[in-house]
Amino acid sequence: MGRQETFYELIRRQGISRRNFLKFCSLSAASLGLAPHFAGKIAHAMETKPRVPVLWLHGLECTCCTESFIRSAHPLAKDVILSMVSLDYDDTIMAAAGHQAEQAVADIMRDYKGQYILAVEGNPPLGNDGTFCIPGGRPFVEKLKEVAADAAAVIAWGSCASWGCVQAAKPNPTTAVPIHKVITDKPIIKVPGCPPIAEVMTGVITFYVTFGELPALDRQGRPLMFYGQRVHDKCYRRGHFDAGQFSEKFDDFGARAGYCLYKVGCRGPTTYNACSTTRWNEGVSFPIGSGHGCLGCSEPDFWDNGPFYDRLETFPQFGAEASADRIGAAAAAIVGVGIAAHAGLTALRQAKVKPNKPVAADERVV
Amino acid sequence: MSIATPNGFQLDNSGKRVVVDPITRIEGHLRIEVNVDADNVIRNAVSTGTMWRGLEVILRGRDPRDAWAFVQRICGVCTGTHALASVRAVENALKIQIPENANTIRNIMHLTLFAQDHLVHFYHLHALDWVDVVSALSADPKATSELAQSISPWPMSSPGYFRDLQNRLKKFVESGQLGPFRNGYWGHPAYKLPPEANLMAVAHYLEALDFQKEIVKIQTIFGGKNPHPNWLVGGVPSPINMNAAGAVSAINMERLNMVSRIIDRTIDFIDQVYIPDLIAIAGFYKDWAAIGGGLSSKYLMSYGDLPIKANDYSPGNLMMPRGAIIDGNLNEVQDIDLDALDQVQEYVTHSWYKYDDEQKGLHPFDGETVPNFDIGGAKGTKTRIESVDESSKYSWVKSPRWNGHAMEVGPLARYVIGYLKGIPEFKEPTDMVLAKLGGAPVTALFSTLGRTAARGLECSWAAHKLKDEFNKLIASIRAGDTATANMDNFEPSTWPKSARGHGFVEAPRGALCHWIDIEDKKIKNYQCVVPTTWNASPRDPAGKIGAYEAALLDTPMHDPEQPLEILRTIHSFDPCLACATHVLDMEGNEVTSVKVR
Amino acid sequence: MSKMYHPSTPLPSRVREGHFGEAILPPAGVQPGPVYVYDAAIRLWHWVTFLAIIVLCVTGYFIASPPPSLGGEAHEHYLFGWIRFTHFAAGMILGVAFVLRLYRVLVGGKHARQIFWIPFWSLSWWKEIFEEVRWYLIIGKPKEYVGHNPLAHFAMFFMFVLPMLVLLFTGFALYSEGTGVHTVWYTWFGWVFRVLGDSMTVRTWHHAAMWVVILFSMVHMYMAIREDMTHRQTTISAMVSGWRFYR
Repeated sequence: MGRQETFYELIRRQGISRRNFLKFCSLSAASLGLAPHFAGKIAHAMETKPRVPVLWLHGLECTCCTESFIRSAHPLAKDVILSMVSLDYDDTIMAAAGHQAEQAVADIMRDYKGQYILAVEGNPPLGNDGTFCIPGGRPFVEKLKEVAADAAAVIAWGSCASWGCVQAAKPNPTTAVPIHKVITDKPIIKVPGCPPIAEVMTGVITFYVTFGELPALDRQGRPLMFYGQRVHDKCYRRGHFDAGQFSEKFDDFGARAGYCLYKVGCRGPTTYNACSTTRWNEGVSFPIGSGHGCLGCSEPDFWDNGPFYDRLETFPQFGAEASADRIGAAAAAIVGVGIAAHAGLTALRQAKVKPNKPVAADERVV
Repeated sequence: MSIATPNGFQLDNSGKRVVVDPITRIEGHLRIEVNVDADNVIRNAVSTGTMWRGLEVILRGRDPRDAWAFVQRICGVCTGTHALASVRAVENALKIQIPENANTIRNIMHLTLFAQDHLVHFYHLHALDWVDVVSALSADPKATSELAQSISPWPMSSPGYFRDLQNRLKKFVESGQLGPFRNGYWGHPAYKLPPEANLMAVAHYLEALDFQKEIVKIQTIFGGKNPHPNWLVGGVPSPINMNAAGAVSAINMERLNMVSRIIDRTIDFIDQVYIPDLIAIAGFYKDWAAIGGGLSSKYLMSYGDLPIKANDYSPGNLMMPRGAIIDGNLNEVQDIDLDALDQVQEYVTHSWYKYDDEQKGLHPFDGETVPNFDIGGAKGTKTRIESVDESSKYSWVKSPRWNGHAMEVGPLARYVIGYLKGIPEFKEPTDMVLAKLGGAPVTALFSTLGRTAARGLECSWAAHKLKDEFNKLIASIRAGDTATANMDNFEPSTWPKSARGHGFVEAPRGALCHWIDIEDKKIKNYQCVVPTTWNASPRDPAGKIGAYEAALLDTPMHDPEQPLEILRTIHSFDPCLACATHVLDMEGNEVTSVKVR
Repeated sequence: MSKMYHPSTPLPSRVREGHFGEAILPPAGVQPGPVYVYDAAIRLWHWVTFLAIIVLCVTGYFIASPPPSLGGEAHEHYLFGWIRFTHFAAGMILGVAFVLRLYRVLVGGKHARQIFWIPFWSLSWWKEIFEEVRWYLIIGKPKEYVGHNPLAHFAMFFMFVLPMLVLLFTGFALYSEGTGVHTVWYTWFGWVFRVLGDSMTVRTWHHAAMWVVILFSMVHMYMAIREDMTHRQTTISAMVSGWRFYR
C-alpha cells in the first residue's frame, strides 16, 4: 500500500501555504486552551494523519441521498470524495463489484479499526429475518451491525436511516427501522431529509474533517447548525404569513404574488431544515420558492401526516377526510343533538313530577 | 446439460458457477450469477433482485393527490418519473385536464432528467467498465490534448489542463487511499483504450460530475428541489408571473433565462463531450457490438412519452415513439393497450411472492403481492445465500410479460422503434453513429454497445428537445397563456365514488406504467410495472428468460473472478432495482408474514 | 335567612361525608342551608379559564383556517400575527391560571382538590358513577352531593384536567418552536416532540385535546343549567358568589 495523503497535503494542494497552515495550527491550539508548543503537535498530527475512510452502505432506499450528495457545489462532491475523505465503499459509484467490493469493506475494517466513518443510506428491514434486503446474500441488518461495531462515528443519511421514511410508513410491511434501533452504542449524526440538501451533507462531513469533532447535535441527533430552526422561521414568505396573506389554491392570485403557502398545506412551520436559507442545488430555489408547500420530508413521521395539501393529518380509519378537527366537529354535533334530546326528556320528566312541596320553616336545618 | 428456452436461448448450468453480488454502480441491490464453460464463456445467467420495500401496502387508503410523493421515493436516480406517472394516472382516473403550460413544463422537467441521468450513467455508472483509471497515469498530456482536440471543439483540452489533472490523479493514487477506485479491475486485459483516451475520459468523468448538477437546476426552478422535485395533480406547482408585482416568487424572466442558459450549456456539454467520447471509446470496443444482444434483436417495447399537446396520450401526439416488436419481426411495430387484461401480465413462479396459481400471469388490475421468501434448493441458508436455485424462486423482482413475451425496454428499444417507424430524428443520428463505427449494420445496435450508444444519442436528443419545449413555453406565454394548474377537480368533494386510471411514462430506463384504483376518495389499490422489472425479470413458468439473463449469455470472460464483462452488459441496461421491486398490489391482499420453510 | 355555613364551620350532622369530602345531602324535604363551596380564588380561576378557552378556541380556529387574504403589501398588515399573539397571550393566561389553581390544590380545601384526583381504588365510587349514569338516563335517583357528583368528578378529571394538561404541554411545546430550540421554552417543553413523534403530530394532539375540552364544556354548561333548573341546588350562581343554595 502506498503512502497515505494527509490533511496537510490536502490543504496544501488546495492552495493553502505552509505559513498559513502553521498559523491555523497555533490558532487551533490557542482555541483549545493548549500551551503554544502544542501547535507543533497539531501540525505534526495533521501532516501525518491519513484521510478518514468512509464506508457508505445502502439498505432499503432509493439512492436519492447519493444523488443529492453528488450535486454538492461547495465543496464539489469530487473534492470531498477524492481529497477530504477516502470513500472506500459506496455501491453506487465504486469501480469494484462482487468479491472485490466486499473485500474493500473487510480491508478498511481491519486496517482502520475504530477510525473509519460509517455512512448509512437507507435502513434495515427486520421483518422475515431481514430477508427483504439481502445484498451479498445475507440480511443487510447483519452487515450494518458488523460494520458499525468498529466505526468511529456513524452518519445517518436522509430520512430512511434517520427516521424510517417511506418504507416505514404505516403499516411498514417490511418492519424497516431507523438505524439507531440497531446501532445503539455509537454516536449517530442524523442528517434527515428526502433527500438532505447536498451542501448540508458535505457540510457535515467537512465539519468533521476540518475540526476533528462531531458537530453540535440537537436532542434528536441532528446537527444544530442545519436543523436548529424551522423552514418557516427563515422563510422569505414569512411576512405574508404574519400579514395573513395566503395562496388559497395553486395558480391563484396569491400563488402568483408569492403569498404564504400555509393554506395549501405547507409544512414549513413544522419542519426543521435549512431549505429556506441554504436552499437547493447551489441556492437556486427550494420547494416554497417554486410554489409548492414544504412536505416536511426531514420530519420523523411526515409520510403519515398527510394529506400534504391539508393543514391537519387525517385518520383514514375514520374516513377519507377525517382530520382531528372534522372528527371533533362531528362529535360536537352529536353531543349537541344528545344534549337537546336529553333536555327534552328532562323537561318531560319535570312536568310529571310535582313541584317540591314548600318546606316548613322549622324543618329547615338550622 | 443444455436446455433450450422458448424464447430462443440455450442454457447450460453445468459449468463453474460465478456469483457477483453486489453489482455496484447501479441503483439498488442486484445479484448476478452465471455458469461459465471450460473456455470461460457464459452459458447460464441468473438475475436476482435482492430488496423489497412494499410500497403497495403503504399507499392503500391514502389521498390520491399525495401518491406522487410516495411513488417518487421508489427511485431517487430516475427521480420524478414515478411522480409523473402517478399524477398522470390520477388525472386519467379523475378526468382532470391540465393546462398546456403544465404539459410543457412537465416535458421540460422530464427531458432534464433524461439529459442528466443518461450523462451520469455514462460517466459515473458505466465508464469505469471501459476506462482504466490507472492507465491514465502513463498518458502523454500533449498527445491527450491532440486527441481531445481532434474529436471535439470542447475548450477544456489544453496540454496543461491534462497535465494538471494527471498530477492530481498521480498524487491521489500515490496516497494509497484509492477511495471509490479501490479494488477496481485496473490492468484487466479487456480494457482496450490507450492511456491518452483513458486520461481524457477521466478528465471528463470529473467534469461530468461537476456539470450534471447544473442540468438538474432546471428541475429545481420548476419543482423546488432535486432530487425529488415537487409535482401536482392538475398541473405543475410553479405559477407563472411575468409582469406583475410578486413575479420574483414565480416563474419570471430571470428564471426562464436561467433555464435557457442551462439548456444551452447542456447541449454543448453533451454534444461536445459525451457524444465525441462515446464515439471515440466505442471505436476501441467494436467487438462489443456483437456481444450482449439478448432480447434486443427480437423483443423490444416502448410506451412512448412527451405529449406534444396536453392531455392527448395517443401515439401520434407523442415525441417518443410507442410500439412493440416481437419474434424479431422488424417489419411490424405492434400497438400496445395498457388496459387490455391479456397484454401486460406478471408471473411470480420464480419470484419471492405467491399466487394461488403460479402457472398463470395476472394483469396489474388483478395483481397480488404476497411475499414468500422460499429459496428452494439454493446453496447456503436463507440468511447466507451462497448460490440461488433458478429452478425455484430466486428474486424479489416479478416477471412481467407482454402478450406472453419477455421484453427489453429502454433507450435502445425507443431508438429501434423510432428507427423502424422511420422517424428522422431517431433514424438519422443512428445512421450517423453506425457510419462512424465503420459502416456497421443496424443489427450492431442489438448489443451491449448498441444499448450504450442509443442512450448517448437519446441524451443529445433530449437536450435539443429541451430547447424546443422551452421555446414552446415562451411562445405560449407570449400568446398570453400563463395558466399552470387546473384546480377544478382538486378537491375530493368533486370526485366520483370510484375511478380507475393509468399513467404511462418512458423513464430513462424504459417503459413505466402506474395503475390506480380510487374509491371513496382514497387509494383502493395502486400498481406499477417498472422498466427494470421488465429487464431484470427472472424466468416465467414457460422458462422464458428476461433481458439481463439473455444478454449475458455467450459472453466470453477473460477471468471469471474479475467480472468486468458481466458489469459491461448489465450496466448497459442502467439497472434500477429499487424501482424493479415495487410490484404493487391491486387486489388489496394484506401482506402477511410468511413462514419460510 | 338561615345560618350560613362557612367552610371553616363543620357541616350539620345530617350532611354525611362521602369520598374526598363530597358531602351527601339529607333526604328531600330536609333542607340544608347555603354552603360556601367555591372560594374567590376558585371562582376567579373558573371564569378566567372560561374566557381564555373561548379566546383560544376562536383564535385557534383562525390559526388552523386563516381568514381570507388581505390585499396590499405584507408590511401593511399584521393580522395573522395578531391572531397568533392573542392565542399565545390567552394561552399564557390559561397556563398561569392553571398553575395557580394547582397551588390551590395544595393549600385549598377538599373542594379545591377534588377534580385533580380520582379515587379509582374505591369500588363504591365507581358504583356511584353508575348510579349517576342511571340518573342521567332518567331511570334512577342517586344521592345528592355538595361538591361534584362522582360522574361529574370523573368527567372533570378525564375530559377537563387531563386534556387541559395535554393542551398546555403541546401548546407550550409548539410555542417553543417559534421562540427557538436554544430558548428556555424549548428546554422545558421540547421533550414533547420526542414523546409524541414530530411537530405535526403534536399539532394533531393539540387539536384533539381541544375538541375534548369543547365537548366537555358543552356537557358541563348543559348540566350546570339543568341542575339549576331541576335540582334543589344552585350551580351557576354558586360559581359567581361562592354560595350554594338549596331549595
